[in-house]
Amino acid sequence: MKKRWPFILAAAAVAAAVACSGGDRGKAAPGGTAESPEARWTIGMSQCNLGEPWRVQMNQDIRNEAVLHPELKIVFKDAQNDSLKQRSQIEEFTSAGVDVIIVSPKEAAPLTEPVAAAFAKGIPVIVLDRRVLGDGYTCFIGADNKKIGRAAGRWIAAKLAGKGRVVELMGLMTSTPGQDRHTGFRDGIKGSAIDIIFEADMKWLEPEARKEMESALARFDTIDLVYAHNDPGAHGAYLAAKAAGREKSILFVGIDALPYEGQAYVKQGIMEASFEYPTGGKEAVLTALEILAGKTVAKDITLPSRVFTRENIDSGGEWVPDEERP
Amino acid sequence: MTTEPARPGPAARPFLGVDFRSPAVRALAALILVLALGLVFNAQGAFFKWETHRDMLRHISVFGILACGMTLVIITAGIDLSVGSVLGLTAVIFAMFSLRLGWPAWLAIPACLAAGAGCGLISGGLVAKFRLQPFIATLAVMVFARGLAKFVSGGQKVSTAILQADGTYRYADVPGIFEFLNSKVLGQNIAVVTLLFLLSVLICWVILARLRWGRYIYAVGGNEEAARLSGVPVAATKLLAYGLSGFFCAVAGLCQAAQELQGDPEAGVAYELTAIAIVVIGGTNLMGGTGGIGLTLIGAMTIGYLEKILSINAVGEASRLMLTGGIIVGAVLFQKFRK
Repeated sequence: MKKRWPFILAAAAVAAAVACSGGDRGKAAPGGTAESPEARWTIGMSQCNLGEPWRVQMNQDIRNEAVLHPELKIVFKDAQNDSLKQRSQIEEFTSAGVDVIIVSPKEAAPLTEPVAAAFAKGIPVIVLDRRVLGDGYTCFIGADNKKIGRAAGRWIAAKLAGKGRVVELMGLMTSTPGQDRHTGFRDGIKGSAIDIIFEADMKWLEPEARKEMESALARFDTIDLVYAHNDPGAHGAYLAAKAAGREKSILFVGIDALPYEGQAYVKQGIMEASFEYPTGGKEAVLTALEILAGKTVAKDITLPSRVFTRENIDSGGEWVPDEERP
Repeated sequence: MTTEPARPGPAARPFLGVDFRSPAVRALAALILVLALGLVFNAQGAFFKWETHRDMLRHISVFGILACGMTLVIITAGIDLSVGSVLGLTAVIFAMFSLRLGWPAWLAIPACLAAGAGCGLISGGLVAKFRLQPFIATLAVMVFARGLAKFVSGGQKVSTAILQADGTYRYADVPGIFEFLNSKVLGQNIAVVTLLFLLSVLICWVILARLRWGRYIYAVGGNEEAARLSGVPVAATKLLAYGLSGFFCAVAGLCQAAQELQGDPEAGVAYELTAIAIVVIGGTNLMGGTGGIGLTLIGAMTIGYLEKILSINAVGEASRLMLTGGIIVGAVLFQKFRK
């Protein structure tokens, strides 16, 4: 009896692995391959982790665009938040000789070298969302959190006619997106009479946002608007306000605008606005096609962001004006 | 408080409030210490509003329900690291059953409770039958349950927004059971989840203080070999403790899903640490054999008030972590100080 358990555990582990690999059910699943018989080009895609819904959406966006181009075959790999695993994935793609590598790196430093090595071997590399060091890659595609935060700040200042009492629920403040969405926002409301009466770190988590919002509600009898660094945070704040019967007098604004999250909340009338943080999945595939067609692509592509409000959600949102360019 | 003898294991298990030198009184002292902080740092009177206390109780309830099961396991000298993951798993399947498949509550709830208890029984089986260390067995279940939650949900949150075949979203109505679990009763004065927490405490109290199985749980944790020799069904007792822990995880998972209006496969990450902290701050010994559910109730309120006081004062995250660490040590030392 005592000796048998390792085998049972091993059998269970194998069964689990088989069950999980069964999870790559065609279109709906985050992993696996999107293949068609007439595929001419192979693109290797290394995603740093699939724990975040936003990254699941990125893979989904790549897949959705790729099915429109039957000449493409995409091989997806998930590095499970491990830089060294992602490094070996890039090396695998390089030695397999794929036609293009798309990588959304976990961190810059450990992935700079393998990306540069692939690039030096003549494989075009598209870096998505987070950067690598140096210039040993073909193209970087990403959005600008500071700019999105600034756009949110300006939109909020306009919405409140220049003055109001605002609660800011921040993402993890040790993370770059959290810092950028904070400083951008503060920049955007500069010059207005907007008063940030309460700020708290909700670590991107909805239950934390709800807890912090309850505290804000207990302390302040009037709150005009909640600016949350992500949509789950805004939703958590809404639920807290609703439980206190105060959701009608407060506006909720968030960032990310995933179709089933922020956009859905705006459509349901829960949130006033959600600012898109684009995944760049579609753009990465289109850029890869341009590279494969022999065209030269820009080294640095900053993705534009859309804002979804109650008024424009049904017409697909509006582009955030690009204030950097004169 | 000068001459209390060392407690000799299961024989001297505490009853709430009977013995004034009991761990319960010391746990209460820690709670009062934290409450005193709230009186001083009351955030312009926010601490004196009933809503603050009601919301604290709502927020801590999910952790408290997990801590109920954790208490049973810790008294058997075990540990259950899987509680957060099992919470996530049951939240996801509850959302799947209710929002996607449209199952009625009388079908969805028992199915989720059974799934939670099943996970607990797997942990219990690995510990009791295969003699795995509880830490390892429940670590394995923790990882597996998290994977299963991601697998059944496809890595996405299971919410009321449902993807149609043509790429657009349909919005399901929030089922009545979600609204009920997320509501407040008794004139809006207490959250339903808090009542479920108190019910969980009551169930554990009946088991530990009134049933034969409760004595078995203390006996197994106090001295497993002695318990075996005196005819205690050790394996069955452990199965019961871990199975109940899984069951309470499912109760917490239902509450979590209802409060978020969705099943999040990432829900409950690191919740096991809070649950363990609640049990230990209450005064239940990690070595097993002593402790009680009343202590866990007090521990939950101590942790809950601590978080609430830091939150209403909008203390920054870095200071909050340092203060939490410091106050936990202070509270535990305060409990030990009795010579």
